Amino acid sequence: MTDIQTPPTRDDGAAGGPPVRDALEPKMAYDPGAGLAGRVRRSSAWRSVFRHPSLDTPRGRALQSFSNFFLHLYPVKIPARVLRLRYSFRLGFIVTVLFAILVLTGVYLMFFYTPAVGSAYGDMQHLRTGVGFGQLVRNVHRWSAHLMVLAVFLHLVRTFFAGAYKKPREFNWVIGVVLLLLTLGLSFTGYLLPWDQLSYWAVTVGTNLMQYVPFLGHSLQNLLIGGDQIGQPTLLRFYALHVAVLPIAVVLTVCIHIWRVRKDGFAVERSPVGGAGHGSAAGTFEEEATAAPAPSVPATAPAHLYGGRTRVLGVVDRQSVTAEERPVDDTVFTWPHLLVRHVVVALGVAATVLALGVAFAAPLRGLANPNLTPEPAKAPWYFAGLQELLSHFDPLVAGILIPGGAVLALILLPYIDRNPSTVARRRKVAIVIFSGLLVAAVVLTVIGTFFRGPGWRFVAPWTHWYVEF
Amino acid sequence: MPSRRQFLRSGWKLGGTLLAAAAGWTAYESLRPLASGASGATVNLGTPSSYSPESATYISDGRLFVAHTGTHIYALSQKCPHLGCRVPFCDSSGRFECPCHGSKYDLGGEWIEGPAPRGMDRFLVTLDQASGTLVADTSKVITGPSRGSNRFLKPAKGPSCVPKG
Repeated sequence: MTDIQTPPTRDDGAAGGPPVRDALEPKMAYDPGAGLAGRVRRSSAWRSVFRHPSLDTPRGRALQSFSNFFLHLYPVKIPARVLRLRYSFRLGFIVTVLFAILVLTGVYLMFFYTPAVGSAYGDMQHLRTGVGFGQLVRNVHRWSAHLMVLAVFLHLVRTFFAGAYKKPREFNWVIGVVLLLLTLGLSFTGYLLPWDQLSYWAVTVGTNLMQYVPFLGHSLQNLLIGGDQIGQPTLLRFYALHVAVLPIAVVLTVCIHIWRVRKDGFAVERSPVGGAGHGSAAGTFEEEATAAPAPSVPATAPAHLYGGRTRVLGVVDRQSVTAEERPVDDTVFTWPHLLVRHVVVALGVAATVLALGVAFAAPLRGLANPNLTPEPAKAPWYFAGLQELLSHFDPLVAGILIPGGAVLALILLPYIDRNPSTVARRRKVAIVIFSGLLVAAVVLTVIGTFFRGPGWRFVAPWTHWYVEF
Repeated sequence: MPSRRQFLRSGWKLGGTLLAAAAGWTAYESLRPLASGASGATVNLGTPSSYSPESATYISDGRLFVAHTGTHIYALSQKCPHLGCRVPFCDSSGRFECPCHGSKYDLGGEWIEGPAPRGMDRFLVTLDQASGTLVADTSKVITGPSRGSNRFLKPAKGPSCVPKG
């Protein structure tokens, strides 16, 4: 490792001998200082942990990413356009932040919860009254779960409209669909844990959807709930799935998802040659993501060379001269440009779920009672569209063919849609079909969630509110 | 004749597949619930004469209704075959009416209207000759009659408990 205290400068490198890598950098600003902190930072023990100092140079920023486990998840440099909000709306990152909040709050809640029918509901009550910040943590956990489902869904929608599922990102789209299903599974399995009337009947309705799977329906349902009806085996199974199986599956799948994002390249258009169009809105990264300077050809030789005389070496026909377009370096360092934006987004997400948690408490109805179905008994909001569909069509159609077909179509989408264009006006058919299905799904979900009352009667939400999140 | 390399490669694939299948089957067998009924227990329903004709009586021990249609006595599962909600008996209409999605069944548990795919499931009921009592076996679930059976369909006695949507 180069001595960090006396780095060679540009002048040093040019002065004599072969130029070293650091000689290409401007003078380093790193100065650990003379105090105790500086001595600690200079110590070999410190440097065994932090192998590179935080140098504000191109190489320093690259080393920052290379030598840090977490930063290593990111590429060292990214296309400047990735930084623009409208390309991704940071939805993938928002999902990651929400998942991290769910893990943190979930682990805290695990210390105060036993997955037993006899005690689960009491634990929830104890959480409200006898645990420090217990209710708030539960509220944040619940809102994060709802928002994660929403954010994953929006991420999928955004990816579709951006055409980011097309070659070479087909398989990453499939992984994204799997992540959507895992997210729904995570949220659904957590729904039962409070063991109140809301959770019991929502899960009863939700798991009974499975019975309509041809041939295997009852076996699958019984396998999931551990019997013929929701009970202790169900609670234990859902708990194990919620705190171990599904989170591990999500983490592994997300790792592959992010890795594929890097390997497949970011789904943003590269800046046109010359860099026109991206610099003005880019703001702070403008100075890094610039076109390579065009070589300047002096009309005459400098005065100190050749005695200021010009020598004609040859004559070339102007028509035969083609300007070679030089590639544009439209990339910027992840640290600090993307990282700073991510920190801001993470803080915004945390503030949002905290505000929601403070403003709206997670519901806790009465103890689960298998002999008393509340009116209305609704599945969780993300399955309410399915429940609405089931009230109109044959269960085989509404419970299996339509949702199963939708998932299958999503998975196969990049292999069916072979149109390579990502421009909206050249993808009218795909966009119209997808938008139609999207509107239908949203309308069904809104009706099922807000407009249905006892007996699944149509109720205007402004006359009576039958929704609990 | 496969080469040694091909043979070993195929062997590893086959062995891995068998191992995965064995692990999957073992996990399934471990997690598969043994009882297939509501609770798996038998419930003594008392003598037939204790149920009046054209009535439905709830037996909480078995989570079932004993329905006397006048000609038949059934032990009906309280679970709606549509999405599993508990189906209460509506005294005013004389029918079973599901509050979740509005499925309705006649006194014999046969489908009248609503999104349910069939009538209410039944438990096997036997008459104990020695004691003269009815016994329902909740581990023996008899799938409800298909739509359109309507053997016990009569006009509703009065207003419905779950109005139409």
